[in-house]
Amino acid sequence: MARELSLPTQLKRARWKVKIQDKETREPPHVSILIRGTDKWRLNLRTGQMMDTIPDPSEVPDELLQILRTATNWRWDIDAWDEMYPDNPVATDED
Amino acid sequence: MATVITRPRKNILLDRGTSRAKWFTRINAESASSSTRIRDAVAHASRDTLWLSFERNLTRSVLRATDWPSPPLGCVVLLHRPDIETLPALSSCFHKVIFSLDNGFLPPAQLGEVLSAPNRENLFIGGSVNRQDGTVTLWRGNLASLTVPLSAFKPAGDGTKPDFTRFSIRDYGHTVRFGEYEAAADAILYEFDPRYRRVQSKARIASERSFGASLRRLRKQRGLRREDFGPLSAKTIGRIEQSKVTHVRDNTRRMIAKTLGVSADEIETY
Repeated sequence: MARELSLPTQLKRARWKVKIQDKETREPPHVSILIRGTDKWRLNLRTGQMMDTIPDPSEVPDELLQILRTATNWRWDIDAWDEMYPDNPVATDED
Repeated sequence: MATVITRPRKNILLDRGTSRAKWFTRINAESASSSTRIRDAVAHASRDTLWLSFERNLTRSVLRATDWPSPPLGCVVLLHRPDIETLPALSSCFHKVIFSLDNGFLPPAQLGEVLSAPNRENLFIGGSVNRQDGTVTLWRGNLASLTVPLSAFKPAGDGTKPDFTRFSIRDYGHTVRFGEYEAAADAILYEFDPRYRRVQSKARIASERSFGASLRRLRKQRGLRREDFGPLSAKTIGRIEQSKVTHVRDNTRRMIAKTLGVSADEIETY
């Protein structure tokens, strides 16, 4: 089942979503950042870097990235990914 | 082979209600529900016209308003459950008839936005599951189709299995859902659309020009593991690939190149 990170109310109201989906086996471990609308970015869980340059990653609010990168949420993302993709865990050197 | 349709010049909304029209202002859709308006729309339609029909009676009205043999009327998206008996006639006047047997289209608010999005070819607007033959046909925002085997949707590591009886498109075309199971549109496109894959690879190459990124691409291309670079350790190769090593010694480059079967200078061209 896809995992969705719980976000603060103001970001939810602004229609942001952070998800790990069920069919991502061909990609490096990542979360998908969606804004209601047609834009989407992926954030690499190994490097902490945005994987997509289009749309412009600077459109993702710093507040959202800070929330994502807090130790608790980052751990949540890694644990969720590792549970969903045990054959491609975040901690490996292989990507 | 998918047919790619460029942005249609004229769009017609077949809908007796008025509440949905606002979602299609982005694509300048003109509403038509009376027989007069439909006749007029048919008379002025061309190969580039996009028709969005929410009501089967209005779809039938188009057929009744058509002079046979029909001139090309464009492309039609049936947002209602299709009548099988109308499909042959629709297929002879529309060069593309898009429908779903699963009621599997985006909600109108999202559909209008996706149809007008610059990246619409990378988003799905709907689809139809054929469980008997094990495929799902997905419609993209540029109205091209992509048929994918259901076997591509493997259970997730946490045990979530796709339920092909519960198909829907979510998140403005970014997500294909089968019950609780979600697949990202870009993952599907990457796997099944060579053109999408080429564009993505090009973008990745443009953004990753480091020695490490080139090494990783070439190693994958050669089907090698990091362990295959002895006497260099897998850990060292990993650190180089992740650009954690600021300077790669000439001797190390030569050893890597030998394993890859290229000259040391060539590695960064990959």
